[in-house]
Amino acid sequence: MDLGLLEALQLPFMARALATLAVLSVAAGIVGLGISFREMEFVSDGMVHAVFPGLVVGAALGGTAGLLPGAVVAALAAAVLFTLLDRRGGAGSDAAIAVGLTGLFSLGVVLVSKQRGYVAQLQDLLFGHLLTVTEAQLWQIIVVAILAVIVMLLTGRAQLFRAFDPEGFRAAGFSVLRTDLALSAATAMLVVAGVQALGVLMVVAMLTVPMAVARLLTRRLAWLVPVAIAVPLLCGVLGLWWSFVWSVEHDLAVSPGALVVLLLVAAYLLAVVLRVVLRRRGSAVPA
Amino acid sequence: MNYFFLASVEIALLGLLSGIAGTLIVLRRRSFFAVALSHATFPGGVVFAVLGYNLLLGQALFAVLLVLVMTALSRVPGQGRQVASGVVLALGFALGTLLTSINPGLGVPVEALLVGSPLSVRTSDIVVTAAVLTASLLLALGFGRRMLFHTFDPVGFAAAGFSAWPVELAATGVIAAAVVVAMPAVGAILGVAILIAPAAAARLLAPRIEWIPPLAAVLGVASGLAGLWASRQFDLAAGGAIGLATTLVFMAALLWRRVARIPAKEVLAHGRTQTKHLAARGGSRETG
Repeated sequence: MDLGLLEALQLPFMARALATLAVLSVAAGIVGLGISFREMEFVSDGMVHAVFPGLVVGAALGGTAGLLPGAVVAALAAAVLFTLLDRRGGAGSDAAIAVGLTGLFSLGVVLVSKQRGYVAQLQDLLFGHLLTVTEAQLWQIIVVAILAVIVMLLTGRAQLFRAFDPEGFRAAGFSVLRTDLALSAATAMLVVAGVQALGVLMVVAMLTVPMAVARLLTRRLAWLVPVAIAVPLLCGVLGLWWSFVWSVEHDLAVSPGALVVLLLVAAYLLAVVLRVVLRRRGSAVPA
Repeated sequence: MNYFFLASVEIALLGLLSGIAGTLIVLRRRSFFAVALSHATFPGGVVFAVLGYNLLLGQALFAVLLVLVMTALSRVPGQGRQVASGVVLALGFALGTLLTSINPGLGVPVEALLVGSPLSVRTSDIVVTAAVLTASLLLALGFGRRMLFHTFDPVGFAAAGFSAWPVELAATGVIAAAVVVAMPAVGAILGVAILIAPAAAARLLAPRIEWIPPLAAVLGVASGLAGLWASRQFDLAAGGAIGLATTLVFMAALLWRRVARIPAKEVLAHGRTQTKHLAARGGSRETG
C-alpha cells in the first residue's frame, strides 16, 4: 500500500483524528494564552489528573457514553478546587495542588482497581486512542472545545488586565475570583476535550507547550495565538502521517498521540535553540 | 521473607524519607518539579525493562538526565517558571508511551510503573531506599541549618558569603533521589504523594519549623502503612490506596488547623513573607 499524505488523511479514521487535533490546536492556542500568562502550568497538570476519577466513574455508570459527562463534572469541580488552592499563595498552595492532584488520581486508581480487567481500561484512559475517535466523540470534542473558546473570548480582556496588573484590576472593581474561575473552567473544558483522544497525561502537553513555543518565537501579543495554533497543527499532521507510514511500511504500531507530543517538544527545543542563537547574534551586533 | 513485610518496610522507609525530601519539596516549593520528574522517568524504566535490566537503575539514570535538561531549560529567558517542568513532563510521558506502543509484547509492566506495586518490592529496592534515607539524613544533620537559611532568605544567604549552588545541588539531589526510590513501590504518578502530602500536613500542624521534618516522618509512616493495610483489607490497588491515605492525612491536618485555629508562629510567618517577597522579585531560582 502506497498512499500519499493527502490520500492517507482522507481515510475516515485519519480524517477524524486530524479533525480532533485541529480542534484541540485552535482551542489550546486560545486558552493556552491564559495558562501561560498566569503561570498555571501546574494547576492545569492538576486538572488533567483530576479528570481521571471522573472518567472512571463515568465509564462505570454509563459505559463509553458516560465518559464525557463524568469528565466534565470532575473537571469543573477540580477547576473550582484548584482555583481556591492557588489563591492562597505562598509555600502552602504549591504543595496543596500537588496533594490535590495525587489524591484525586489515587481515587481514580482505587476506583478502577475495583473493576474487572482494570489494566486494559487504565491504559486506554492514560494513553488515549486518537485513531479510534468516533463520529459522536468528535462532535462532543468540538462542542466542549467551543465552550472553552467562548469562555475565553467573553473574558479575554479581563484575563489580560488581570494577568498584567492584578492590583489595578482589583482597584478597578473587577472580581479576581470570577476571572480566575472563568480561566480555570476554560482550561477544564479543554482538558475534557483532549482527554479521550490524547489520554489523561498527554493533554497537558497540548495545554502548555504550544504557547511556550509561541512565546519563544515572538514577542508580539497579536502573533502569540496564531503561532500557538499553527505549531501543534503542523505537529499533528506530521505525527499522524508518520505514525501511519510507520505502521503501514514497517509494521510498527506507533502511538500517534505520543508522536504528536514528541514533535511538539521537538518544536519547543528548536524554538529554544533559535531564541538563544538570535539573542547571541542580536547582542553581538551593538558590541 | 514475607512479601507483605517487605512492602511494609519499604513504605515505612519512604514515609521517613518524606521527613527530609518532602520538607524540602514543600518549603522550597519544588512540587511541580517533583511531580514532573516522577512522571517523566517512566520511559527510563520502560527502556531498561525492555532491555532486561533493573528498572530502578534506568529510572535513576533518566532522572539525572532530566534534571540536567530542566536546569538548562529554566535558564532560557522569556518564559514562565513552570514551563521547563511542563515540557519535561510531556517529553517523558510521550516517550514512555511511544516505547510501550512499539513493544507491546515485551511484557513491560506499564501499570506497575505508573501506579506502583508495593507487593513486588525486592530486597534490593529496600537497600537502595535505606541508603538514600541515610544519605539525606546525614546531609540534613550536617547542612540542614544552612539549607533552611537559603530556603527562606537567599539574599541574606548570599550576603553572608555563602555560595548558593551547593545548597541547590544538595536539595535537588535529595528530591530527585527520593522521587526515584519511591517509584517501584508507589509508581511514577503517585510516588510523590507519599513524599509531599505528609510534609504538607506537617507544615500546617507544626508549631515551629524544626518540628516539620519529624512530624512529616511520623505522618508519612503512619499514612503509608495505613494505605498498605487498606489495600490488602479491601483489595484495592496499593499505590492508589497509599496516595489516598496520605491525602486524607493532609485533609485532616487542614481541618484540624481550621478548628483549632493554630496561629502562624513567628518562624513560619517569617518564612512566608520571605517567599512572597521572593515571588514578587520573580523568584528566579525556581524551576518548578
